[in-house]
Amino acid sequence: MIPELGQIALTFSFALSLLLGILPLYGSYTGNERALMLAKPLAISAMVFAGLAFFALCYAFYYDDFTVINVATNSSSVLPWYYKLTATWGSHEGSMVLWVWILTIWTAAVAVFSKQLPLLMQGRILGIMGLIGVGFIAFSLFMSNPFERSLPYFPAEGNDLNPLLQDFGMIIHPPLLYMGYVGFAVSFAFAIAALLGGKFDSTWARWARPWTLAAWMFLTLGIMLGSWWAYKELGWGGWWFWDPVENASFMPWLVGTALIHTLAVTEKRGTYKSWTVLLALAAFSLSLLGAFLVRSGVLVSVHSFATDPSRGVFLLVFLLLVIGGALLLYALRMRSVRSEARYQLFSREVMLWGNNIFLLTATLVVFLGTLLPLFHQELGLGTISIGEPFFDAMFFYLAIPFSLLLGLGPWVRWKQQKWQTLIPPMSMVAIATLVVSLGMMSLTQSIQANTALIGLLLGAWVGMSALGEVGQRIHQFGQGLAGIRKLNASHYGMTTAHIGFAVMVVGIAMTTTYSVERDVRMQIGDSVTLSGYQFTLLDVYELDGPNYGGEAADLRVERAGRLITHLHAEKRFYTIQRTVMTQAAIHARLNRDLYVSLGEALPGNAWSFKVQVKPFVRWIWLGGLLMALGSIWSLLDVRYRRKVVSRVRRSHTITKEAEDA
Amino acid sequence: MRNWMLYTPLAIFLGVSIFLFTGLFSDPWTRDSALLNRPLPEFDLPDLMEPERRWNRELLTGEPFLLSVWGVWCPTCKAQLAYMEQLKEQGIKVVGLYYPLPVDPAFGEHFSLGQLQRDVRQQLQQFGDPYQFNILDENRRMSMDLGVSGSPETFLVDAEGRVRMHHVGDINPRVWRQKFEPAMEQLQSLADTSVQQNEASQTGVGY
Repeated sequence: MIPELGQIALTFSFALSLLLGILPLYGSYTGNERALMLAKPLAISAMVFAGLAFFALCYAFYYDDFTVINVATNSSSVLPWYYKLTATWGSHEGSMVLWVWILTIWTAAVAVFSKQLPLLMQGRILGIMGLIGVGFIAFSLFMSNPFERSLPYFPAEGNDLNPLLQDFGMIIHPPLLYMGYVGFAVSFAFAIAALLGGKFDSTWARWARPWTLAAWMFLTLGIMLGSWWAYKELGWGGWWFWDPVENASFMPWLVGTALIHTLAVTEKRGTYKSWTVLLALAAFSLSLLGAFLVRSGVLVSVHSFATDPSRGVFLLVFLLLVIGGALLLYALRMRSVRSEARYQLFSREVMLWGNNIFLLTATLVVFLGTLLPLFHQELGLGTISIGEPFFDAMFFYLAIPFSLLLGLGPWVRWKQQKWQTLIPPMSMVAIATLVVSLGMMSLTQSIQANTALIGLLLGAWVGMSALGEVGQRIHQFGQGLAGIRKLNASHYGMTTAHIGFAVMVVGIAMTTTYSVERDVRMQIGDSVTLSGYQFTLLDVYELDGPNYGGEAADLRVERAGRLITHLHAEKRFYTIQRTVMTQAAIHARLNRDLYVSLGEALPGNAWSFKVQVKPFVRWIWLGGLLMALGSIWSLLDVRYRRKVVSRVRRSHTITKEAEDA
Repeated sequence: MRNWMLYTPLAIFLGVSIFLFTGLFSDPWTRDSALLNRPLPEFDLPDLMEPERRWNRELLTGEPFLLSVWGVWCPTCKAQLAYMEQLKEQGIKVVGLYYPLPVDPAFGEHFSLGQLQRDVRQQLQQFGDPYQFNILDENRRMSMDLGVSGSPETFLVDAEGRVRMHHVGDINPRVWRQKFEPAMEQLQSLADTSVQQNEASQTGVGY
């Protein structure tokens, strides 16, 4: 009964989204105010019904309703209750319902928090979000129905959830990632609404900025969490695999990062208008492309859902309508726009131009690396695979100029900057950079000219410059520490995010250079020493979990005779799915991770182990967290809560802000 | 900005979608095997049903055949049996390379041959038996040398024992028509002409 109610709720949500996609847009062209006014209640009720559908599916999973095919294939009665709930979004069908619900949540959020938007604009934005919703709900209802029953012959026991997904990471990684993906739909809708209206003043950028920041924040957290999850769950200590689906989430992130920066230029300086619109379209288009790649089966990946071509065709048609339509509208409408701002070669505008060039080159690298194998095969040139070495090399070379630019950028003023005035502070930053990076180097390892040193220098450069810049701003207020409170939140947000980038660069450089690993054969009582840590195997015994068996090993870790920790590594055998899973034992500290995974039983009462010491690996995720924190801080800026002032006063404040900055 | 430039994003997107569209209908799991156009790896393995009988590379050469890696534990392998039996009736030689479980030596006993033979016999009786004979890949070394990553996988081997095609996934009418049939016909005609040439040269020697 409940699953049927869920399906009805989803159908209602479909109908409401359809109305939302028609009525307000109709109203915006006929000047029918009542049709425009309908946008908000329609958006909210579509969200409520999509939520009901989602909870109905959760209910079916929680109560082991194996008459529902989706439940039978992705859950089992012995699964712990929290994984039963997360199994709701463990399959293609279920995750589409979550996706749809999140999309309607964003739509409703725009409806609720956009009181300051003109009714016309609000109606258009919500109408476009409604149309996107129609496409996704139709896909869920007609192409991958999550509530389909297998009555009257249903299995007595389910097929269990893929063991890889039985992890804490699964609980929050997909929701956060979807919040990010779908969040770019809001920026997309703002851009389309601006295109439809034909007005490209800085207002749309100001409105779209907080939404883009929020979406970017979720996407950052989602990707970071995915990386951390893969690190601890896949059992061999990698944190990024350049897997096609990871790349599919990385591309919108890169473009989203570029978008955040150009939105600032468009808002403050009224320039880069058409470029910003294009980026807003591209960020969501790449999200859609990612969804297509994961769900259509065109690429081989550990993340892919099982698929059939009809789903892929549906999604591709949807892509053609949404992206193709948006880009066509862009081409038709953009011709009338001219940028009026003037700026010199050495100015903030040009710095951000550089930022965009590097971020988009990176996007292109990921795009080609991901899709070239497909192009190659379809052109009949045979199969090729592009792997880590290509991406690693490309990103290494891109990171160097990008970081140098990032260290300089925040110091440069809008319009024009005299380079002479920057020499004293930048030399201070350079000295601080040298001191910090050499200091860190000597703490951890001997000083060597290698990738780690380059990474440390770049990280320290970005970090020191960000700190120094904030210090200099506060100093300029001339009120001592009281100046700390005068600097606005979005400035602190930017600085935090930049420091996050610095921390991440240091983490990546140190981990890739100084990680050590060894595959060893150990009997009980044997020990192995790695980077000064002595790992001793204490015991190996049988495991008895709810839906798995297997073996567990206890190890003791000592350093210079002092006990560091006890480690507990498991190798699980999930009985229903007949899959072996490694549960690595990890001891995490800010400056290093100890990572032990249990391998196979060897003849002679011995076991194989993979033992790793990974310095600074936590810094990678710490950096990601700081970036997300930076965007939250920016979102707290009072500017985003202020009511929109009249156009005359607005342009006045803009010039004033430009002078301030 | 020139107006035509505004159409470039659209053009790029449409270009990419063409590839995405054709990509939907091709199998992303196909990989050119590293073994392509190379001889089969050396091996010396027992027959599954008559373990005292042993097979090696030289015994398999002479005519083109399909080498099918499978196991009773693999549902897709079961599903392809009926169609492959039809192929056998059309005169295609199919040799099975049996891949035994357990997957992980850490769990469970090593397989028992008697039980395995019973299981195989039962499944082949029930779903169809395309195999001329089955080679038991005892320690899964042969599958590893072939670069098998999952089951079922099928290799097309020519009369000289060279791997000419590698297919991951099941053999069904569509895969057979599109992928295997053209290559198989070519190989068979080659084999026929080489046989004729051999005969001709032999008769030539006779003169």
